[in-house]
Amino acid sequence: MTATTEVRAAARVVDAVKVYGGGDTAVRALDGVDVTFPAGRFTAIMGPSGSGKSTLMHCAAGLDTLTSGAAYIGDTELGALDDRRLTLLRRDRAGFVFQAFNLVPTLTVAENITLPLDLAGRRADQEWTEALVDIVGLRDRLHHRPSELSGGQQQRVAVARAFAGRPDVVFADEPTGNLDSRSGAEVLGLLARAVRETDRTVVMVTHDPVAAAHADEVLFLADGRLVDRMEAPTADKVLDRMKAFEARS
Amino acid sequence: MNAPLRIGLTSLRTHPRRFAGTFLAVFLGVAFLAGTLVMGDTLRASFGSMFGEATGGTGAVVRGADTITAPGEAQGVRRPVDTSLVRTVEGVPGVAAAAPVIQGAGQLVGADGEPVGGHGPPTLAGNWITDPGLNPYRIAEGRAPARPGEVVVNRGAAKKGKLRIGDTTTLRTPDPVEVTVVGLATFGGQDGMAQVTFTGMTRADAERYLTARPGQAASIQVRAGPGVSQRELVRRLAPVLPDGVEAITGQQSARENTDMISSQFLTVFTTFLLVFSGVALLVATFSIHNTFAIVVAQRTRENALLRALGAARGQVTAAALAEAGVVAIAASLTGLAGGIGVAAGLQALFPAVGFPFPDGRLVVKTLSMVLPLAVGVLVCLGSALLPARRAGRTAPLAALREPAIDASGASRVRALTGTALGLAALAATLTGVLVSPSVWPAGAGALLALAAFVALGPVAATTAVRLLGGPLDRLRGVTGALARRNALRSPGRTAATASALMIGVAVVSLFTVFGASLKATMDQTVSRSFAGDIAVSTPSYGAGGSGLSPRLAPALRRLPEVDTAVGLGRGVAEVNGRGRALTVTDPVALARAFDLGTVTGSLRGLGDDGIALTRSEAARQHLRPGDRARLAFADGRTDTFTVRAVYDRSELAGDYVITRSAWAPHRTQDSDTLVAVTLRRGVATDAGRAAVRQVAARYGNPEVQTRDEYARSSAGGIDMMLTLVYALLALAVVIALVGIANTLTLAVHERTRELGLLRAVGQTRGQLRAMVRWESVLVAAFGTVGGLGLGAFLGWVLVRASDGGSDTAFAFALPLTRLAVVALVGVTAGALAGLRPARRAARQDILRAIATE
Repeated sequence: MTATTEVRAAARVVDAVKVYGGGDTAVRALDGVDVTFPAGRFTAIMGPSGSGKSTLMHCAAGLDTLTSGAAYIGDTELGALDDRRLTLLRRDRAGFVFQAFNLVPTLTVAENITLPLDLAGRRADQEWTEALVDIVGLRDRLHHRPSELSGGQQQRVAVARAFAGRPDVVFADEPTGNLDSRSGAEVLGLLARAVRETDRTVVMVTHDPVAAAHADEVLFLADGRLVDRMEAPTADKVLDRMKAFEARS
Repeated sequence: MNAPLRIGLTSLRTHPRRFAGTFLAVFLGVAFLAGTLVMGDTLRASFGSMFGEATGGTGAVVRGADTITAPGEAQGVRRPVDTSLVRTVEGVPGVAAAAPVIQGAGQLVGADGEPVGGHGPPTLAGNWITDPGLNPYRIAEGRAPARPGEVVVNRGAAKKGKLRIGDTTTLRTPDPVEVTVVGLATFGGQDGMAQVTFTGMTRADAERYLTARPGQAASIQVRAGPGVSQRELVRRLAPVLPDGVEAITGQQSARENTDMISSQFLTVFTTFLLVFSGVALLVATFSIHNTFAIVVAQRTRENALLRALGAARGQVTAAALAEAGVVAIAASLTGLAGGIGVAAGLQALFPAVGFPFPDGRLVVKTLSMVLPLAVGVLVCLGSALLPARRAGRTAPLAALREPAIDASGASRVRALTGTALGLAALAATLTGVLVSPSVWPAGAGALLALAAFVALGPVAATTAVRLLGGPLDRLRGVTGALARRNALRSPGRTAATASALMIGVAVVSLFTVFGASLKATMDQTVSRSFAGDIAVSTPSYGAGGSGLSPRLAPALRRLPEVDTAVGLGRGVAEVNGRGRALTVTDPVALARAFDLGTVTGSLRGLGDDGIALTRSEAARQHLRPGDRARLAFADGRTDTFTVRAVYDRSELAGDYVITRSAWAPHRTQDSDTLVAVTLRRGVATDAGRAAVRQVAARYGNPEVQTRDEYARSSAGGIDMMLTLVYALLALAVVIALVGIANTLTLAVHERTRELGLLRAVGQTRGQLRAMVRWESVLVAAFGTVGGLGLGAFLGWVLVRASDGGSDTAFAFALPLTRLAVVALVGVTAGALAGLRPARRAARQDILRAIATE
């Protein structure tokens, strides 16, 4: 954690432990993880299946609670919040892009984008929303329903929604998992652009080295522990590293 | 076990709660149907054995052969038999004894001054038959009447009137007769012949008070000598009887009485319970159809997989039907048990509310079990048939598709069919209402309208929910918008869910509108036709009550406060071959106390051979003033009368008016149903009423009311009936609401991932709950509004058709306050129905929701 001292943390977890189940069948999905997600950076979390990467993201985002340790968004400790405050925090300070089923089928594209703001009863920042719509390139689709969009377009709407409320941090859980490579590249490009051009923070879980290569930094998880990290990743370097882990285990 | 059945059973075991609503709906419908049938059989059986026991000694009954029945009367008037015939009968070989039955109306006044009975079942008085073999009553306490003024009262009536042996009270025959109770009697071991009250007096008293002239009896009871069968007895009696008199066996007489009394007793309850179980089952149809439609939709992937693995269409359909069948049989069987419970409950409840339900074991016939079972299973399977077929049609590839928004139900075919049905309904009702007023085409139109509403439901759902939910967007923001759009997601499902409630609400509204219209009609009748200031009457309906003494009106006329007092008596005759009720009165006074509308001819000179009748009846009978009509009376005589006047309004005065002197030769027991009083100028109503009350007290203490009170009390029975209807229909509405809750729970389950997403991006639990609740409210509001519209329309049709189809001018009234309450209850109930699904939806774990496939 040397490089992060002077950088503001958008989110972080301290000594994070997550145990599923109990007794003989207990599974330690997170086994003492310390991570800081610096503001203004695009961080990817990688690891084989069962490494705890999704759990880490869910706990950091306040979708799940830690068994012990602490998770912060900005300076707010999530463990101290009840369900309602946690919900409000997610709504106001975090954005989400999931692997699939990101959009509410009854709402139009425009309504989906402003959904968190509408739920908060906040007025959308018109200029920002317009800019987002242009960035994701969906101006002509604003009044369509999600079912009328392709998978790639749906993910782009999800990206726009995630950034609509100018959240401290956007969590993306395998955002390209269901897309072909071209659509996937578009979505990843959007995430990266948002970070670089508008100074946003993105934390993305993926198992795809090509996707991870879009990030500023890649964290590697295995068996619930942080095992490695890589600055300025490329797909080849990430792939090599993953192969090395698999050979070891 | 074959595969489809096994699959069906497995899925049923996995999600038994899905079928809670279906189960409840079928259960209630079957329970009420079975309960009604069992209660009917039990009643008939108990009455049958009661009569059998009571009248076992009667071998034959000699009575007048013909009856004259006026329209709307349950029982005809029978020609009396000469008591001199008793001698002749006794002379027939094989006859051991014969006794005349001299019977008439006689209402006891209880110890508290209130009349006993009179609300439906007859209140009878008659001679105490001394031959114990022929008297159906047995002395339980005290002794038989021996002197004038002594009476035996059946124990039930004595209990109700708190009368004991030695008490002196009044018997309205309707002339008040001072009587002393000397004995209490039982009938077939029971406290009485159901609710019928009986006062037994000496033969001389009976002849004096209950018949117009001595020497007449209602019938003659005959006891057979040893070795003579009832049939043989009747065969031997036949040759000695004069024309117009017949003999029937004691068994036949008992059977007639059983049928008469049990149908009288049963009609009200049976009708209510059957209508209710019909409504419950109809509502159930929708609930069941909906549940299965959703379950099948949810199982699309599963069914698609089955199809991909090689299951034939028929097998998938059979699996779904097997599931429905198991639910149907389980619910119906439970319903049968519930039905027996309902019957047992009623049997226990009736005596508690003073309704003697004869003792006896419940009679559970095969039919009362098989029929409800069959109906329950058929309704359930029939409702599941379409969804099951849809399940069978699942394409193997559907496993891969995302079930998004389905626009099922809003098809053009449906819109066209619905519109066609609607137009047909309109045509039929308008014919029934305007062209040739009659209830039948109007009823057919009503059914068509119901079908049209159901067909158009999904088409209308979209528009209706949009309209109803419009304000929600502005009021509740995105939560409201989401609720509204969720309700719009599947118009077919929304409509089917709402249809169940719609039917319940429609029936409630129909009764509300019809009840209010009836009240308005009564009110209008009294205010239009009743020109008097004070009405004297004995509140009673059915065959009960004894009416008013014919001497009351003349007594009132002598009061200084009174200008006119006119009594209306009732007679019956066949006019040109048709049984008709006659109003026996003083026509001139009648015209002063009642508004008869335009009178053609003169009421003044009716005399002994003239009649007056209403214009509509005159048209029906093709009679004009000056024409002659043949009136055949119950005593067997036929006279020719001249039509001297024709008047407009029949509501209170009746269709025919005849003078007392013309009626006198044919009269049986004299009584008036109503005495109308007009006060002299300057006499205050209160003072007049007090004076009238004082006089009336001496004539059996009838009800004395001002014109307004009279109007109100005429309509009073309707509220009581409405309350009963509401109580029963509340259950149907509950079934509908369980249906809404069920649909919502299933929908919430279906939308698990979406709800998880909403929660993830910041929807609070409260917002989520509100969203589900509002959806429920919208569906309920749609059903309620549809039901109100349909019910009000059907109410209007019914009122108008009745108006055109009968002589009574029906007034149509729209009770807005009551309907607003119905609407409020419907919508509130919708919010309640949404509570549980909303709670369940909010409890869901976000991550699991997102991860759900």
